[in-house]
Amino acid sequence: MDIIPQLIVNSIIAGAIYAMIALGFNLIYGTAKFFDLGYGAMATIGGYTVFYFYKGLGLDLYLSVILGVLVAGVIGVVVYRLVYAPLRKRKSSGMVLLVAALGVMTALQSIVAIIFTSQFQTLSQNAGSENVYTIFGGVITQTQLIILILGLLIMIGIGLLFRYTLFGKAIKAVGDDEEVSKIVGINTSRVIGWTFFIGSAIAGLAGILVGFDTGIEPTMGMSLLLKGVIACIIGGIGNVYGGVLGAFLLGFIENFGIWQISGEWKDAIAFGVLIIFLLFRPQGILKK
Amino acid sequence: MEYLIHIAILISIYAILGLSLNLVVGFTGLLSVTQAAFYGIGAYVTAILLTSTGMNFFLAMLISIVITAVLSLAIGFVLSKFKDDYYALGSFGFNVIIYSIFLNWQSLTRGPLGIPGIPRPSLFGLTFSENAWFLVLALVCALIIYGICQYITHSSFGRVLKAIREDEKAIQVFGYRVLWYKLAIFVVSAGMAAVAGSLFASYITFIDPSSFTLTESIFILAVVILGGMANNKGAVIGAICLILLPEILRFVGFPDEIAAQMRQVVYGVILILLMLYRPQGLLGEYRF
Repeated sequence: MDIIPQLIVNSIIAGAIYAMIALGFNLIYGTAKFFDLGYGAMATIGGYTVFYFYKGLGLDLYLSVILGVLVAGVIGVVVYRLVYAPLRKRKSSGMVLLVAALGVMTALQSIVAIIFTSQFQTLSQNAGSENVYTIFGGVITQTQLIILILGLLIMIGIGLLFRYTLFGKAIKAVGDDEEVSKIVGINTSRVIGWTFFIGSAIAGLAGILVGFDTGIEPTMGMSLLLKGVIACIIGGIGNVYGGVLGAFLLGFIENFGIWQISGEWKDAIAFGVLIIFLLFRPQGILKK
Repeated sequence: MEYLIHIAILISIYAILGLSLNLVVGFTGLLSVTQAAFYGIGAYVTAILLTSTGMNFFLAMLISIVITAVLSLAIGFVLSKFKDDYYALGSFGFNVIIYSIFLNWQSLTRGPLGIPGIPRPSLFGLTFSENAWFLVLALVCALIIYGICQYITHSSFGRVLKAIREDEKAIQVFGYRVLWYKLAIFVVSAGMAAVAGSLFASYITFIDPSSFTLTESIFILAVVILGGMANNKGAVIGAICLILLPEILRFVGFPDEIAAQMRQVVYGVILILLMLYRPQGLLGEYRF
């Protein structure tokens, strides 16, 4: 088995996961204009909801996944309505929202840990006996193939949403100028609520997929989120395509980095890249 | 009694951390979420010096302050290029990178195994092996730090810091070198965190990377914000509240594992509620 093709495959899979998180994060940042760090908790919630329904109650796999995505989305909206919406109404600064989001993240993550313990759990029933495929000399499991396909579908879906639907245009309008959007008759609060739903649902899906690929633990949301944020900043914050580009770039840098150094430095590499970008190209690769 | 002394020592250590971070977050208005990294560097340098060379605790503390200060100068220099939200994200990055170093530089830090058998301090033949004596030491340190903070914040230097917070451009126009002031206070703050780290290492006599995570930084931030930004008394009160609260939870009868998670839920919720209803904290004089 050659190492380079495998590294490329791994990079693309990691990139697909980061891209999903980055897409949702950018969607929320694009309209609400703040770093929603609480967003990472939705990935954890998605993963654990499936764990509860699928492994705990023995529900059908597809039904559990749909429930997981919905629960993550709904909780995202609830958090927006309860915490962020009142703060935004008061024109609180970005830092107030950031601190509140940190609170959301810590609280939700620990509530999950209280209910399900903080142990590492796997979602898949047949771990280790999955179908594997070989592409260009790199090995890929069935779950990872599904990650790639779903990731691609979501990217296309978001792209279509922005290009062809009225709702997509409304999201853009709110992002450009909330006041004016309100004046021309867009229900801005509803539009932002929906972006929180869609974004959180995507995060939930990403959490579920990671759960099937490796496993779930309460802190997974935090690390996924930070990778998604880094991807967004590398690519250009607020730019949907930039986020995807940044995600795959980050996937490649990380995987080739740990090939040269060692696996434990993954997070440090990611943040090193972030700091280099913040210093030398703060607007990201694709400027908005 | 022994239990109360233990709590009092923890409060002293966290009061030092709160006071030190308040200088940066409250007085200068820079949302830094990396204090646990400096706390950790202080703890690790002290632990390594004490276990490998057996030197005097106070000398080790001094060396760890110097090393932490030098490192924080470099980190502060990079961070000073960022603003607001990006400053917070960059500081996240440094916390994660330094945590990775604690975890992975195994030849120096023993990685996840941690460093056991750190001796208690001794001075003129008097060893602080009894907790009551250690409390005296911790309180003296906390008082000295409190005094320094009071002095700094009431001096002309402190007034410049507040001016930077309120309007950086204006104070620049008056000919102050903003960068120099930001760096100076960042380094002072990190040095104080190193004192807390030294105390922590020799009090618990064991350290491992898990005490110096991003979550810990958020906890220290919560201490500052709860007590009140830009108020030294506030930082102390914040430490008292946030250390006592989970202890009360333990008394109510939650098991240890759940009590630890409850602590996080509680301070997460506290952060959210404060941002919603009292963003300046209990005694605060400033809000983001």
